[in-house]
Amino acid sequence: MAMRSQIYEWTNLAPGGTGSTLSRATTDESVAIAAGTQVSVFTGGVGYNITKPAETTATQFVVIEDIACSPDDTTNKGGDVQIRINTTDYFQNPDVTQMSGVSGTASPYPRGISDGTNNLLKSFDLYPDVYVLPGQVWDVLFTAQTTLVTATTADVVAAFIKYTLYDGPDALIANKLLELGITVNPANVDWYKRTLIEQQSGGVM
Amino acid sequence: MAMRSQIYQYLATADSTSQASIFVGGLGNNITKPAETTATQFVVIEQVASTPSTPITLMSDSLGVYSQIRINTTDYFLNPDNRPNDGVPGTASPYPRSVQFQPSFNLYPDVYVLPGQVWDVLIKVTAGGTNASAGRPEAFVKYTLYDGPDALIANKLLELGISVSPANVDWYKRSLISAQSAPPAPAMD
Repeated sequence: MAMRSQIYEWTNLAPGGTGSTLSRATTDESVAIAAGTQVSVFTGGVGYNITKPAETTATQFVVIEDIACSPDDTTNKGGDVQIRINTTDYFQNPDVTQMSGVSGTASPYPRGISDGTNNLLKSFDLYPDVYVLPGQVWDVLFTAQTTLVTATTADVVAAFIKYTLYDGPDALIANKLLELGITVNPANVDWYKRTLIEQQSGGVM
Repeated sequence: MAMRSQIYQYLATADSTSQASIFVGGLGNNITKPAETTATQFVVIEQVASTPSTPITLMSDSLGVYSQIRINTTDYFLNPDNRPNDGVPGTASPYPRSVQFQPSFNLYPDVYVLPGQVWDVLIKVTAGGTNASAGRPEAFVKYTLYDGPDALIANKLLELGISVSPANVDWYKRSLISAQSAPPAPAMD
């Protein structure tokens, strides 16, 4: 399977309400995060984590299609999410200064969560998608808007990332599409494959 | 009918926090044997969904349900460090859908189960409270079963790098019929 739709869900839940965990458990509790603190959802040492930073190998190509997180409002505690490729933050202010990224109010997770008055739908669509080229390190950073307290039910927050992983030959095709200025998506990768097959078979199917 | 839209709904009837098959896991409504395709079948999984929950209820009384697709022995959803994860959270792909829970996730590209492969959907429950107090976890799978000649066409489309969908299978059939019914080329002197 050379093109795969993938997801990653982060929560600030860990055993005993401290540190991080590699596997979710029913007894996990919320981990404290100070307001304004930015943590990596992959290796930040808070909540659900993975074993190493997210990176693409020489034969992988990643397209990030959606990011979302808990909104911060009168009912929920939440924050913002930022994408980082190598050392460069994706979202920035018009004056080219750093910002904390897309707010959970603009891109809520869960989609439809109540803010006390309305069910929030997304105002933000990550389009064009974000490409992570072979050999790059990527990260998603969550910034808490409100201080989150340990082991408190109302202080659980989540972030969500949807991406497509192109591997092997499909990653080479993704690179080729990028060179040609064509959007990298499953339909265009399939189109490029068909073009190659038609060229080889002289237009005979 | 050689292309059939199929669904499978699962409702757990027993508590479990480990990953369990919705087909033969023994914890809810099950089927008689693992799901597999014969030599003349081709399955396209188009959607998986499960019981959703809000983050703030994960520590108390609601269910955190995740669904993972497994083909033979390979899990489909991986973390960025290439370790299999729990799968798609019901919060991202909720079942049932509601105003409060709308999908953030769309299974695209679809997942293909080739002829002769065994496939499964595994759910894991990871939240506080007992299933009995929070309601039983549910899961939903939508797939299309291609059988007989349509499975052969599905394989051909896969070889050609064309998405396997009912529309494309029909297009391929029309192409074959057009090619067969084309008038013969005039004889050359």
